Amino acid sequence: MRNKKRKGVESLKARDGLMFITPWIIGIVLFYLLPLIQSIVYSFSDVLLTADGMKISLTGISHYKYIITEHPDYTNMLTESLVSMVYQLPLIVILSMILAIMLNRDFRGRVFFRGLYFLPVIIATGIAMELIFKTTTTDISSSAPEAVAGSLFTTTDIMNFLNLPTGIADYVSNIVNNIFNLVWSCGIQIILFISGLQSIPGSLYEASHIEGATKWEQFWFVTFPMLGRITLLVVIFTMVELFTDTRNELMRHVSTLMKGGVYDQSSAMLWFYFLIVGGVIGIIMLLYNFKILKKWE
Amino acid sequence: MENAINSQKKTLRQKIRSLKKPSKKMNVKRFTRSRSGTVIYFTFIALAGLFSMLPLIYSVVTSLKPLDELLIFPPKFFVRRPTLENYVALPGLLSNLKVPLSRYIFNSLFVSIVATGLYVFISAMAAYILSKSKIKGKNVLFAIVQIALLFNAYVLSVPRYLIFSKLNIIDTYWVEILPHLASTLGVFLMKQYIDGYVPDSLLEAAHIDGAGNFRTFFGIVIPVIKPVFLTVILFAFRDIWASIPDGTIFTENLKTLPMIMTQITAGGIARSGSAMAVTVIMMIPPILVYLVSQSNVVESMSSAGIKG
Repeated sequence: MRNKKRKGVESLKARDGLMFITPWIIGIVLFYLLPLIQSIVYSFSDVLLTADGMKISLTGISHYKYIITEHPDYTNMLTESLVSMVYQLPLIVILSMILAIMLNRDFRGRVFFRGLYFLPVIIATGIAMELIFKTTTTDISSSAPEAVAGSLFTTTDIMNFLNLPTGIADYVSNIVNNIFNLVWSCGIQIILFISGLQSIPGSLYEASHIEGATKWEQFWFVTFPMLGRITLLVVIFTMVELFTDTRNELMRHVSTLMKGGVYDQSSAMLWFYFLIVGGVIGIIMLLYNFKILKKWE
Repeated sequence: MENAINSQKKTLRQKIRSLKKPSKKMNVKRFTRSRSGTVIYFTFIALAGLFSMLPLIYSVVTSLKPLDELLIFPPKFFVRRPTLENYVALPGLLSNLKVPLSRYIFNSLFVSIVATGLYVFISAMAAYILSKSKIKGKNVLFAIVQIALLFNAYVLSVPRYLIFSKLNIIDTYWVEILPHLASTLGVFLMKQYIDGYVPDSLLEAAHIDGAGNFRTFFGIVIPVIKPVFLTVILFAFRDIWASIPDGTIFTENLKTLPMIMTQITAGGIARSGSAMAVTVIMMIPPILVYLVSQSNVVESMSSAGIKG
């Protein structure tokens, strides 16, 4: 029975298969699973750094209790990162969908434009990104009049002029101040959306065109539904990226703690955080479609 | 006889062409827009594109600024008197470390190339097995891959250090290479692609023709999955190139570019020009890898999307 269920090629015998997969399994176990289990153990115990190594004594859930009920900042940072996700996520998804639809059109130089959006993804990782980001955002916004984008950074004037309610005004100026952040977060999402757009059969557009659908209707009744799965993938991908971003306040706090040698409490902070992240992602996937969960297995 | 066949072929070809043409026209029609629409359209993508490029342009510009322009407050966007001073000064900045700049560049390239090569082959082999074999527990393994995609390196940094010290690889090249071999994103992307594009019948046919497993893998599977192969190379190279193995390398001879970058940036504003110069140097190899693989990136991401 079970053999029937497992799909695969008969000629790929178990012994040879193991030979192929062993290096990866060793890597995953050594550098992923063992550390992961170890850090769960840390989160449930007191870790003391002594001259002859680490002393670990189990204490149960005391760290979790502490960070949730007593720690002055933890719950604040937690809600802050959740809130910032709530406003960044739709922006990133919508912006990258619009850009993908535009870049998917047949025009000269689209490879160049795609490269333009994808380039930050490639070159700006790790310390290079932090450095570029720090200098650019502070420098460009402070050299406002001369900078190319200068006029856009004096948003407060525009907001005052428009006389918007403060909530909306804050929201808009927040977006404008984070505009690099936003455009830079769109690279992989745009690629994912473009690939999704290219997998929509052209016949659907032809059929809807013959039926007399306008472009607007084509978008809502052909493009949008056909992009459903890729949108889910983009949403989850973006969430994971936002949650684990090194510029995230909680992440920064945890990394300073770890550098200071506080492993037990910081592990607990991270695990509780990931528990919530995983929960949110799980709920979204359940809401989207229960069947898709099966496909992921 | 042959003429008749040829003429038949010709008419068939023409028919096919005439069948293809209207659909092409439809596509064009679908995308035509008024002139003002086109202008708005291009303005939008050009503006957003400018925003995405601005930080990169700015870092190149900053790396060309002489010291006095770096110290101007508020900083100016453009450089008045561009100079290569910052680049020329780089080797001198490092002279007190007694290791030439070229050594760091060599280390970075060596580690990135070796680790990327191992990474991509190990992931391809694992993905091939996860997709096509009948090994017990492969679904569990793939579930682990998907969950692991959610975690970032912070959680693992400390326990990993303990494992490094047990393996006795601290302060060697191994510690810069081995941790990258625990691939999750690579295996995920490749497995999805093999599921979609490598039919079982192809592998069976190779088996019947007498090809062994290694022959099948290198001769058939890898050429078929070339697009995702290149994409994974790009992502892996990007990550490994920028990674800093915290607290595991002490010998100056073994350090990589990102590690000395942290030392240079610690020098404060007077060094910001040099820091930018290193940043610009660091941008070059990933761009080269991207140029080689760019046409394949979209194609292989689509497989992840369709299946995901």
